[in-house]
Order: sequence, then structure tokens, then C-alpha cells
Amino acid sequence: MTDTPDYKAESPAREAWRMFRRNVPALVGVVILSFIVLATLYGTFFYAGDPYNVVWAPHERPGVTPEFPLGTDYLGRDILAGMLTGGGPTLAVGAAAAAITMVIGITLGSLAGFYGGWVDNLLMRITEFFQVLPALLFAMVLVTLFSPSLWTIAIAIGVVSWPQTARLTRAEFLRIKELEYVTAARAIGARNKRIIWKVILPNAMPPLIVSATLTIGIAILFEAGLSFLGLGDPNVMSWGLMIGANRDYILDAWWPVTFPGLAIFFTVFAVSLIGDGLNDAFNPKLRER
Amino acid sequence: MTALLDITDLKVTFNTRYGQVTALDGVSLHVNAGETLGVVGESGCGKSITALATMGLIPMPPGRIAGGSIRLAGEELVGASPARMRAMRGADIAMIFQEPMTSLNPVFTVGDQIAEAIMLHQKVSADRAFKDAVALLDRVGIPSPADRARDYPHQLSGGMRQRVMIAMAVSCRPKVLIADEPTTALDVTVQAQIFDLLNEIQRDFGAAIVLITHDMGAISEMADRVAVMYAGRIIEEATADDVLDFPQHPYARGLIDCIPALGREEHALKEIPGVVPPLHLLGAGCAFAERCEHANDRCRQEKPLLVNHDHHPAACHAVEEGRI
Repeated sequence: MTDTPDYKAESPAREAWRMFRRNVPALVGVVILSFIVLATLYGTFFYAGDPYNVVWAPHERPGVTPEFPLGTDYLGRDILAGMLTGGGPTLAVGAAAAAITMVIGITLGSLAGFYGGWVDNLLMRITEFFQVLPALLFAMVLVTLFSPSLWTIAIAIGVVSWPQTARLTRAEFLRIKELEYVTAARAIGARNKRIIWKVILPNAMPPLIVSATLTIGIAILFEAGLSFLGLGDPNVMSWGLMIGANRDYILDAWWPVTFPGLAIFFTVFAVSLIGDGLNDAFNPKLRER
Repeated sequence: MTALLDITDLKVTFNTRYGQVTALDGVSLHVNAGETLGVVGESGCGKSITALATMGLIPMPPGRIAGGSIRLAGEELVGASPARMRAMRGADIAMIFQEPMTSLNPVFTVGDQIAEAIMLHQKVSADRAFKDAVALLDRVGIPSPADRARDYPHQLSGGMRQRVMIAMAVSCRPKVLIADEPTTALDVTVQAQIFDLLNEIQRDFGAAIVLITHDMGAISEMADRVAVMYAGRIIEEATADDVLDFPQHPYARGLIDCIPALGREEHALKEIPGVVPPLHLLGAGCAFAERCEHANDRCRQEKPLLVNHDHHPAACHAVEEGRI
């Protein structure tokens, strides 16, 4: 352990950021995701077009007509316009659903793991109840019960995907609460709230951060799946809606489903890369001395 | 004068799959201010349970304090409210753990952790607490404390981490400091430094120290008085010199015979045959009888009591009867 001459105090966040900056795959993820987010936010400034309007002949191949670089779909609607408009809702639903999943999962999982006993039993039975429901089916029921909108879709996805997070959180709590530094924290007079939030949860974070990024990916896929089945918000263009609408014609025209599919793929991929990078950056043991 | 920490007839039981076992069976101890009490015994004899019971950290269930009392400066701790216990832990009574490697939270800097301990019990600003933490690190002999305070535990050596633990334990000037095998995980040279540090801390802060160890060398270096524990009972209690020079109980004699001495011609180290019996298999007699060369029928049937003999108290029929 050598002292570097410029050794200066660094806040943990700054140090994590310094580590994150050196992680090439994570930076690639940031670049891809930034590009996608910027494109969905500001793309329509540069490429104005209504994704619902029939503007050209159906099934125009990409690259043939300069006005419609990605071609048109089965009705003759502009695919690039659909991609740029549909990205925002897709990303928003993914992020909101992941946030709901993490909040419910971490809260219930940490309470169950920390307190054990009847609290654990009760919460885990509830978790199992949600776990045995087929997720997609249950989400479909929720979405059809309440009229489909971005919010109900996000909530439906959150409600069906929190059990995994809860179980993961509980397992981490069960492992960490037996460790000596938890007893040591008690021995200096820390109360349960502090031990849960400041001692156990920060140590449980690495797998939870990874799980959160995976959840964003899964939520985006879920939204695409619901839209694909026609259960998305029909008034809001999304990548999933595009895939769903064009799936019948996939053998005649590959491009109306492939471009939104690639967009979903790259989004999920970028989020996973960032998640891995965050995990490494927040793990003090992987930081070089 | 009443003792600072006074444990009387403490009984702790655990519910296990073998049924209820008695981990501590009538343990009585006391420590005065500025004094160091050594508690010795093999693994599994109840030393750590005594420490945890005193801190109010026995996991309940399965544990239960079935009887007795623990008084800290006259205040009863058995049955005290959780909030009261929390307020005392860290402030009036603190503990140093065995494994400095695992008893610090790996995701926070050591300075932050000491500052937290200070802020739990004192109304000070975060800046003030951090400055105090740096001063404490300096006090426990950590070089360039301002830089080390911003290190994470894994960046420090075992000896350094134990110093950090000591700094954290004394941060609120506790009256009683319980050190549970504080040097077991450390090098011998580092051990000596940590003992020196504990001695200095005691002089400065006037704390009473309960040193839990199985190392008789540590006892001779640190302790004023010694209590020898075996299978959840105290079987001998006297000043450190008396126990080291004139051990009474065969178990205490065994422990002392186990110390290798420089310059003593020996072909093999002495050892005490066997191990501490599992608590659920303890019979009616002396728990040490199975391993004792002086055991007779009375030893196997009747538990000896801790009573004064020629020299000092020991719980042994053989000593009482003058057979050894």
C-alpha cells in the first residue's frame, strides 16, 4: 500500500465516478444510452414527421427513398419517425417500472431479511403469491382492468417483477446481518433503522444495482411484449407497438420489426453495461489502492 | 466500594435442536474502575457469551437471560429497555471484537465510521465528529491519521484495523471496555503493540477493561485479576499473579502448563486431553471430570462450588479435599 504523492480526500461518489470513467465497456454503454436518449428527446427537431400518417407506399425498403431512410411499414407509415417518437414512452415506462420494482422489492426484502420470524414468513408468503402468478398474464389482467396508459403499464410491470428483487434483497440481508460488523454497529449503540439503511443495505447494493439495470431491460421488453399483444396504450407510439403492429408481415418485410427490435436490444445492452460498471465502481474492493 | 461492572449469578440459556442448553450457569464477575479483569478459557466455555450478555447483544430468541443481574455503575442492565441499552452501548460500555478484518463496515471510510459512533451519542456536527475521529486515530498510534481516516478498511492492515476498532470503542470514553480476544487474529509483534495501546488507553481514560482471551501470555501482560471459565461457569478467580503462580483447579493448572517457556527443556508441549464437552451433554457432576486425572466418584456426581481454599477461590472437590 503506497501513498500516491497527490493523495487527496475524495468523496465516495467522486471516487466511484473516477473508477467508472476508466471502465471502457461502461463508457460504451453510456455513449449508446446517451445517443438513444438524445435521439428520442430531440430527434424530432431534426427529423419532423408524424409516425401515424400514411405518407408513402407500404413496405418501402430502407435506403431506397431518401425522405424515409428506414422505409415504411405495412400501412406506408414512416418508420424512422416512429422510432424517434416511440423511444421516449418506451424508456419512460422501463425506468418507471424498474423504479417501482426496486422500491417495493428492496423495502419488503430488507424488512423480511432483517427482522426474520413472523415478519419474514408473512412477507415471503405474499412474495410467493405474486411469484406463482404468471407474470405476463397478470400484467395483462392489470392493464386490461385499468385502461391502458403509460402509468398503468409501468405499475403493472412493477407489480409483477418485484418478487425477484425482494428475494434477492432478503438473501443479501440474511447473509450480511450475521457478519461481525453488524454486531459491531450494534455495539456502538446503532438502532435498527440505521443498521438496515447504513450498514446492511450499502453492502447489499452491488447485486441490487445489477438487478436494477436488468429490471430496466426486462421492463422495456415487458412493455414491448404488452404492446406487441395489443395491450399497450394505443394512442402512444412505442417500439413495442411498432413490432406488434408489423409482426404479421415479417416474412414480407423484415425492416419494420427489426429497427425497433434493434433499438430495444441496444437500450437493454447499454443499460446492462452501465449496471456492471456501477457495480464495479461502487465496490471498494475492486478499486485499486 | 461497589464495583463498576458487577455481574451476579448470570444464567443464559439457548434453545437449540438438542433442547434448552445452559450456556452460562451462574457466572459472577466484577471489575473496578481502572482495573483489568482477564477472563480465560478454551473456545466454547462461555467467554464471548458473557461479553455479549453484558452488551445486551445476545440474540433473543434463541438466547434468554434466565437469571442473575448485570449492574453497570449501579444500574441494572438485565431487563433494561432496548432504548436504554442502546444509549449505554458505545457510550458507557464498549466492545472490541476478535476479527478486525470483518468488524468494520467495508463500504465506509474508517474516519466516517468513527465519526458515526461519536454522533450516535454526542450532539456534535459532522465536521466536528470527523475531526474528533482523526484525533482518535492519532491517539491510537495511526500515522498520518488525516489521510488514513479517508481510507476504507480493506486498505489497512490487521493491526491498523484493530487500532481503528479501539479508537471507535473509546470514542465516547466508555466506563467499561470489553475486549473479546482482541489480538487473536494478529501477529505476535502487533499483539504486543495492541496490549501496550490498551494499557495506555486505560491509563488515559480510566476505563475498566474486561479482557477475554485464551492466551495466558496476554493475561500475564494485561490483567490485574483473572477469572477462569469452563463450560459456562467460573472455576477459579484470583489476582493474575496468584493464578499464574499457584493455579488451583486442575484445568487452570493445565492451561498454565500449556504455555511454552523459553529455555525449558521439553520434548512435547503439554496439553489438556479432550475438548470442552458439548453443553447439552453436561451431567450432574463437574464438567471437567472427564478430562481430569484427579476426578473421583464425587466429582462425577456433584458440581463443585466456587469456594475459598488455602490460596484463592476455586471450584474443585480435589482441591477442597486436599488431594492435589
